[in-house]
Amino acid sequence: MSRAKKKRGWLSYWPRLLFLIPFVAMLWVPSYNRIEPELGGIPFFYWYQLGWILLGAAVVLLVHVIDTRITQVTESSRKGLEATDIPGDIL
Amino acid sequence: MTLDLTATIIFGALFLFVTWLGFVAARWRKADLNLLHEWGLGGRRFGTMVTWFLLGGDLYTAYTFIAVPALVFGKGAMGFFAVPYTILIYPILYLVFPRLWAIAHERGHVTAADYVRDRFGSRILALAFALTGIIATMPYIALQLVGMEVVIGALGFPAGGFAGHIPLIIAFIILAAFTYTSGLRAPALIAIVKDVLIFVTVFAAVVIIPAKLGGYGAIFASVPPEKLTLAPPSGDSLGSYSAYATLALGSALALFLYPHAMTGILSSSSGNVIRRNAALLAAYSFILGLIALLGYMAIAAGVDRDPAYAAGFAQYGPNFAVPALFLASFPSWFVGVAFAAIAIGALVPAAIMSIACANLFTRNLYKEFIRPDCSEADEARMAKIVSLVVKIGAVVFILAIPQAYAIQLQLLGGIWIIQLLPPILLGLYTRSFNALALLIGWAAGTAIGTYMAATQGFASSVYPLEIFGVTLPGYAALYSVVINFLLAAALSPPLDFMARRSAASTAS
Repeated sequence: MSRAKKKRGWLSYWPRLLFLIPFVAMLWVPSYNRIEPELGGIPFFYWYQLGWILLGAAVVLLVHVIDTRITQVTESSRKGLEATDIPGDIL
Repeated sequence: MTLDLTATIIFGALFLFVTWLGFVAARWRKADLNLLHEWGLGGRRFGTMVTWFLLGGDLYTAYTFIAVPALVFGKGAMGFFAVPYTILIYPILYLVFPRLWAIAHERGHVTAADYVRDRFGSRILALAFALTGIIATMPYIALQLVGMEVVIGALGFPAGGFAGHIPLIIAFIILAAFTYTSGLRAPALIAIVKDVLIFVTVFAAVVIIPAKLGGYGAIFASVPPEKLTLAPPSGDSLGSYSAYATLALGSALALFLYPHAMTGILSSSSGNVIRRNAALLAAYSFILGLIALLGYMAIAAGVDRDPAYAAGFAQYGPNFAVPALFLASFPSWFVGVAFAAIAIGALVPAAIMSIACANLFTRNLYKEFIRPDCSEADEARMAKIVSLVVKIGAVVFILAIPQAYAIQLQLLGGIWIIQLLPPILLGLYTRSFNALALLIGWAAGTAIGTYMAATQGFASSVYPLEIFGVTLPGYAALYSVVINFLLAAALSPPLDFMARRSAASTAS
């Protein structure tokens, strides 16, 4: 697996730059420290951060999908790369 | 408070069920449990689903479910830092840990200390890792007991004296027994039950309780306005803004360095399992966000002013807010379900933490320094015994020492554990760092972080750092690990140079 990884150039890691977005959004506290606009009675401070949990997960998922595409890991070759010695990759 | 019989019976029945499950787990994916990687890492065979339950059960603990809403209940918006924190842990998990898993898998590492010993060739650095891990985890296990004690007390068992501790001691004997026989398989299997119970409880809570209190608008309207947002900075201090951001970032960086998180990661079956979980674990984060809001629901329900719960608040402080809210809002049988969810939520991480400590002790202290020639079976036997000792230690800790100390030690635990970050992170990409420089960085970071907490009387981990006349109150763990990093980087080249020269002079 490590040998396959080494062939990847630095540039192919670009999708991981997307991770900067949740960091900037969450650490820039003044951008969300307010009450208005409320959503169904919930102040902005709360629904905005709760919403970012979903957005954050979406970013991770997106990076994973692009990463997988870039490395062009097909089902068959992945079995060779990461021998999981069963029982199943999912369970 | 009188004993709530219906709730207690439901609670007891669920507890018995997971006890049975804990023992049955030994036969799940049957393997030789006399091997440490089978007992202590489940044979590294857990796929995406099991890892999801295991890490979820591991990271979102009983104490989280009690303490996060308690913090929101007591301090308002500041307590909500747990939400950005759980958002930031997953990019970090994705970036760092699949690579760590690959190295650990290839080289057969069971603990983080195994990994640094191999990467930097230093037994002393590995020893520092093992000791830090064990010392930082012990109060964490004790806090799980605090979470369990609060719900047992809320069921109406007598709180004071030795008799009050008997249910807790029984629970821990059960925990110790099934961890001993089944290893990591037990918490992995029980985590599934725990999570189902937690999901049911939380969804019921966020639907039923607001309906009773007149909707979310009414709940937020009943919270004092100054609690709803962070106090904006004044003068030349960044005030609560920098505190909020650094607490979130520092806690996120520290989380996966804890031995129990490392155990959960290393027990997965591939790097892709970890990557997938970095996205899927957000489901727990969302639950945590909802749980945090329970703190405000407790304010709106006015449980702290209700004389029926006065004794509970007197005994447990703000930690009683969620149990009181459940008692006030749910029928007895569902209170039993909810409290069982929290108590079982204490068993799972406590089991994983004690296994992680046992792995560290056995691999990096016993085998390394005491009996290098011990067999694999000896290794596993030692780990099982240590897992018992660790749990007895945690129980004694809770019985003998006031709760406040456990919380303060947990605060320090975060500061200590984050000091492991530089060697772990650097080790992923380079082996050229000097082990002595990393050790000096670790020692300095630990000392400075502890000093920062000491200046706050160990009551808070937020240290008012002054730079160029501006005060930046922030998480001491984050500040001290920056110093650790800088020292390791600055000292590495000269120490390497000296080592090479002395090697050359002895050769000639």
